[in-house]
Amino acid sequence: MTDIYWFGAGVFILALLSIGSLFVGVIDLTFTDIWRDPQAVRLIGISRFPRTAAALISGGALAVAGSVMQMLVRNRFVEPMTAGTGQGAALGVLLVTIWMPQATIFTKMALASVTALISSLGFLAIVRRLPPSQPLLVPLVGLVYGGIIGAGVLFVAYQADLLQYISVWLNGEFSGVLRGRYELLWLTGAGAVLTYFAADQFATVGMGQAVTTVGIIPFVGLVVPNIISRLRGDNLRRTLPLVAVLGAVLTLGSDMLGRVIRAPFEIPVGTVLGVTGAVIFLWLIYRAPSYE
Amino acid sequence: MLRAISLCFMTMAAPVFAETTTIETYAGPMDVSVLPDRIAVFDIAALDTLDALGVAVHGVVSPLYVDYVQHSVQNADNVGTLFEPDFEAIATGNYDLLIAGGRSSRVALDLTKIAPTIDMTIWEDTVGQGLDRLDAYGDVFGKQAEAAALRSAFQDALDTAKQAMSDEGNALIVMTNGPTISAYGANGRFGWLHTAMDIPEAVAAVEQATHGEAISFEFILDANPDVLIVIDRAAAIGQDGVTAAVTLDNELVRQTTAWANGNVIYLNSANVYISGGGIQSMTQIVSQFAATFSDG
Repeated sequence: MTDIYWFGAGVFILALLSIGSLFVGVIDLTFTDIWRDPQAVRLIGISRFPRTAAALISGGALAVAGSVMQMLVRNRFVEPMTAGTGQGAALGVLLVTIWMPQATIFTKMALASVTALISSLGFLAIVRRLPPSQPLLVPLVGLVYGGIIGAGVLFVAYQADLLQYISVWLNGEFSGVLRGRYELLWLTGAGAVLTYFAADQFATVGMGQAVTTVGIIPFVGLVVPNIISRLRGDNLRRTLPLVAVLGAVLTLGSDMLGRVIRAPFEIPVGTVLGVTGAVIFLWLIYRAPSYE
Repeated sequence: MLRAISLCFMTMAAPVFAETTTIETYAGPMDVSVLPDRIAVFDIAALDTLDALGVAVHGVVSPLYVDYVQHSVQNADNVGTLFEPDFEAIATGNYDLLIAGGRSSRVALDLTKIAPTIDMTIWEDTVGQGLDRLDAYGDVFGKQAEAAALRSAFQDALDTAKQAMSDEGNALIVMTNGPTISAYGANGRFGWLHTAMDIPEAVAAVEQATHGEAISFEFILDANPDVLIVIDRAAAIGQDGVTAAVTLDNELVRQTTAWANGNVIYLNSANVYISGGGIQSMTQIVSQFAATFSDG
């Protein structure tokens, strides 16, 4: 029963953050401008709302995907970068850039999410064969598996002088999000919802799409499921909404921080979360679980 | 015995040809033997200026990234890449002078062990150092008259560009890299565009950062520059996937004065990014400003 209250509190915080996010940006915008200034409404429609939505959806979907993935392989330390998903996405971006440089951003994202999915499925196939008595093998195998794909990507990208290009694609960042440039994420969001109601297989699809649309956002898929499971246990049917809300809060909050810290310049959300996520993760390790 | 004789001969022979001149390099003033016979070049800005002077190059890195110097190096041997010199090829190439700089600056010390090496990196004061390098090459290769002519041609082009830009208002330099953008200021890597042509900055606070400051499209709208100077990073590395125009053509940038008046200049990114500071590159860029913004 208390899960309902937790969920309610999370949604309330999320709503506050979302409204706040609409008013955080380079151009000054206050609440009253909405009635006085038609330009303000336009700005929200073009830039602020898409960015807020992108952060909410990708944060929520990544956390849900991480949660389900960790359940599937029965290991708590699996996330996109330790399951070959990120590296698979990088491989897709690289291949499509070399073979079809003229392809639109949408085509590139779509193809990259396919390679990300294939790469994640490959990880799942390998992990199935591991002995269940050796849980540490899963993240280790994941690291090696991702490392091999990543090394191949690095080698080809270096030879083709595409290293910076690949790193920009993969660095989690919302500064380029505008109306018309993020809509693939709604599919990701739908995938996360489907995951809850129906089939767990959608989780891996969603993870791949989020990674290719906004880049790698570290720790969300790792830290959030672990926090929730420490606090509220492992019954996914009950806790998945909480996971989604906390993932969205963390991602949107970090993106807002990234907009504010060096305003009017940007700090990529991936960088902010890399720092905050590490702190939260340490806290998680040293704190005893409260849910017995 | 034979070795002793040949060693003796080499040490004696060296001073005979060694008429030297002192030139300014990135590592400070250096004595360099004039009229070296075989040279290898590891910096595209250097190659640009040498090409303009009509100096023959016998070894060069690959790929070059810029196309206008390809013809002058068709018969040159490959000596590796900008980041990874092929030390064996350099050792067997019997070069009298190696010219490093920019991206190859960090291997200049290693190159010194094979043959006399000068580091001709151009940094911060692009125009001043670019012209210094031009003069230095003129001295080393006995092309002082050609160097002087190139210098004055550049000055003329720069004056014309200054004239054209004097009534255009302020500007913002942005670089597009795939779907994201960053801004550069008057102190940064491309700052000479502001300082040399006296173009005021639309935003004064853009700090010096090699890879620019990450910005949002709102930043461009808020700065509302009169002129938008665009460099496409992806095009600079031979990729024309998302062109800069596609990235910038959105509902926010369209509201700026620069976009509304068509005052958006897309620089040949290889010229500004790879061969920046080369005399042909600089002359071409300021001429492009003059042509784009000339009155009438």
